[in-house]
Amino acid sequence: MNYQTVIGLEIHAELLTRSKVFCSCSAEFGGEENTRVCPRCSGAPGSLPLFNRGAAELAVKAGLALNCKINNFSAFDRKNYFYPDLPKAYQITQFFSPICSDGYVNISTKKIRINRIHIEEDAGKLIHDDVKKISLADYNRCGVPLIEIVTEPDIRSAEEAKEFTAAVALALKYAGVCDARMEQGSLRCDVNISIMPEGSEVFGTRTEIKNLNSLRSIGRAIEYEYSRQKALLEKGERVIQQTLHWDDATGVTTALRSKEEAHDYRYFPEPDIPPMFITDEEISAIAATLPEMPESRKVRYSNQGLADADATLLIADKALADFYDEALKGYNNPKSVATMIIVELLRRMNDSGLSAEELAVLPADFAELCKMADDGTVSRGAAKDILKQMLETLKKPMDIAAENGMIMSNDSSEVETAVDKILAANPKAVEEFKGGSTKVFGFLMGQTCRTLGKSANPAIIKKILEEKLMK
Amino acid sequence: MKELIKKSTLSELGMGLKNKEFSSVELTTAYLEQARAMNGQTAAFITLTEEQALESAKKADELIASGKSKPLTGIPLGIKDNICTKGIKTTCASKMLEDFCPIYDATAVARLKKQGAVIIGKTNMDEFAMGSSSGTSYFGAVSNPYDLTRVPGGSSGGSAAAVALNMCAAALGSDTGGSVRQPAAFCGITGLKPTYGAVSRYGLIAFASSFDQIGTMAKTADDCGILLGAIAGKDEFDSTCSALPFKNCLSALNRGVKKLTIGLPKEFFGDQIDSSVKSAVFSAAEVYKNMGAEIKEVSLPDLKYAVAAYYLISSAEAASNLSRYDGIKYGHRSKNGKTYEDVIKNSRREGFGKEVKRRIMLGNYALSSGYYEAYYSKAVKIRQRLKTELDEIFKSCDFILTPTAPTTAYKKGSVEKNPTQMYSADICTVMANIAGLPAVSTTCGYDKNGLPIGMSLMGKAFSEATIIGAASAFEAVFERREAVL
Repeated sequence: MNYQTVIGLEIHAELLTRSKVFCSCSAEFGGEENTRVCPRCSGAPGSLPLFNRGAAELAVKAGLALNCKINNFSAFDRKNYFYPDLPKAYQITQFFSPICSDGYVNISTKKIRINRIHIEEDAGKLIHDDVKKISLADYNRCGVPLIEIVTEPDIRSAEEAKEFTAAVALALKYAGVCDARMEQGSLRCDVNISIMPEGSEVFGTRTEIKNLNSLRSIGRAIEYEYSRQKALLEKGERVIQQTLHWDDATGVTTALRSKEEAHDYRYFPEPDIPPMFITDEEISAIAATLPEMPESRKVRYSNQGLADADATLLIADKALADFYDEALKGYNNPKSVATMIIVELLRRMNDSGLSAEELAVLPADFAELCKMADDGTVSRGAAKDILKQMLETLKKPMDIAAENGMIMSNDSSEVETAVDKILAANPKAVEEFKGGSTKVFGFLMGQTCRTLGKSANPAIIKKILEEKLMK
Repeated sequence: MKELIKKSTLSELGMGLKNKEFSSVELTTAYLEQARAMNGQTAAFITLTEEQALESAKKADELIASGKSKPLTGIPLGIKDNICTKGIKTTCASKMLEDFCPIYDATAVARLKKQGAVIIGKTNMDEFAMGSSSGTSYFGAVSNPYDLTRVPGGSSGGSAAAVALNMCAAALGSDTGGSVRQPAAFCGITGLKPTYGAVSRYGLIAFASSFDQIGTMAKTADDCGILLGAIAGKDEFDSTCSALPFKNCLSALNRGVKKLTIGLPKEFFGDQIDSSVKSAVFSAAEVYKNMGAEIKEVSLPDLKYAVAAYYLISSAEAASNLSRYDGIKYGHRSKNGKTYEDVIKNSRREGFGKEVKRRIMLGNYALSSGYYEAYYSKAVKIRQRLKTELDEIFKSCDFILTPTAPTTAYKKGSVEKNPTQMYSADICTVMANIAGLPAVSTTCGYDKNGLPIGMSLMGKAFSEATIIGAASAFEAVFERREAVL
């Protein structure tokens, strides 16, 4: 029998606030153990949480970026459970009244609905020392603000799950909400997965795979879990509702706890933080600060005539897409600018390990270079050299071209003289050409270019050479 | 000096210091002597901070000499041991926090220190403020200053006994369901629970966050007002603390009760209230009437549900608030147990007393899936309804007058073994916490054993000035008897 996979995701994204969500400690990644802690985030007796309104602003941005309804009223709740990385023994979250609800993200195949986005605090980190047989707790990450994005069970394959996660990550990066560095854990994913016979409308029993931190492991974990559940059903056994851990090294899921052992989180309203009200005016003001999102940007690029693959490549990096847009302001030739970015600039950046954010070349200068190449001020070959030098020295393209004698001469009399000389010096080649061998044209072209140097405009040389040979 | 500290109010002590009739060092020494002399019999203090106290007294004297003194400069105070004091043990009277030393001052403490007040020690209490006898303390039960065989009330029984016996000039307590007012009543002093949000809870070790409020305890209502004035007001460290500037409680406009309407809710004078208590409160109402107040009978029909709602919500919050005590970061850690689960189970089993465990179990039960709707959720609805009923009463009354407790101080060990009986005695005080309203208890009589009887004045939110003024007017015509041991 064929089975249909049904998947819902819970994506945790760390918000890019400078301080933690309920205190003023730094929310930066890393740091020496337990140096970014205070009475509040370490849960000292008598301390109280103090909500960082900046986190609400970013959560609203995330909601808007993911087409959610922003709720004017939201409130915090306590999720109670014991774990050594959770110093208060409860996590402050939004259970009853989340800040955003009812959103969606379009992926290539369909629309994936988002049930809710809520704000919560991250837990600390445990460090296990197998040699000394001890475990230590680092609370630096305690209280780092997170949003949890919960989808409806609309996803039907590993591919869709990966595409959705990538789209969410990109949208959050664009909105400046999260840096979405999965390898650092600033974006991580829980997968809820069940299977049902194809054609059925009744979902099977689901399992939850916790804390996947790369697109690849999301894909692999889903494929594995699909096979595992399928094998169980085919043997006539049942899938047990349980929480699973994915081991990337062995490629299998193992049970963390079953439904019977599931926590009863005893949620109740957090009495230490008054409910949060956000007015429509505040929401509009936040919306006004959002940049153009990747989806609409891609449509715009397609309308400019860019190939789908090129548009996708540009929007994948907001800084690069911004660079492209800025460059167009200096030289409105989308195809030419996009090609120069994708073919030349990206290659150079890859070679030197430079990211688009680090790019110091001015988009206006880059635009100038594209224009110089197109209008024949410099040859295409020279343009590549100029770009290399621009990246190294940040000099203006025109200055580089001038200093290196790359500006192509449009003086045809000089070219004519040169061509005449070459033709006179190579009578045999001329003979062959006239005899029908077009191959020698390249040879003659090369000879002339060499004589004239870098400033030679190949287009003009070609034209004059042709004229003289045709005579 | 000994006579002086018996008779003086905070403002008189302040005057004496300002006029250099005596120094803060002399005053502090006198209180410390009294505290040392009385602590053996009463166990009012868990910790006496003699060195630090004399140190701050010296500084206070310098401040006074430089002419920069404030109302509480140089005045020796007691602080309940669930309010964080930097570098001074703050135990919550629990084995769990036996050696816990906070790294910061509670906002209320920081504000007292800023005025140059002298902290002479940390007062005893029911463990984690859960109880009304101060008998559940890990450090031993507190005794009543009027009769050592009786309880001082609780949970701020240490603060109440210390004030009654002049072991400090005044004290801070905390009130979650009556923990300032009931011990004030039992010990014959005045205790004020401010409006929820009037005083920052930052640094008050949480019992039930939506009810907890730091309160003031002294010999007179005016003194409670002075102390409140020093600690109240907006605090950026507590987001449930009101952003409104706090009004001066001693403003001359609010003295007396002339033209005020005082409500007597009939449900507070039922069968469960001792007749001696009832008649003392009724006499006080007569006194107010003669002062020009209008007395009116009112009704709070759902009062019968108040205690149940209070215990469900406060225990639920407590269960969550006390979960952090796992023996991992601070506090008692069991030597038994190899796994994380075993360590926290044993640490909590050994570190918490019986009553605390009972509340944790009750609270977790009320919040568990399957029971949430029936218990926690229903209690929240009752809370809302009681608030509405009170709002209705306050449309026609300036404040309501009730007994503070159904009885006077009872014998140690007589009631504590029956928790529901003890809980039901909170009937007179929980409403102020349920609705977050201010209430002050002051002595209005003595029973046949010479034990003090307390009455409570509960007002609208942020009407501290009105109830303090009214309590003060009564105190002016009432003959208070000092406790003599």
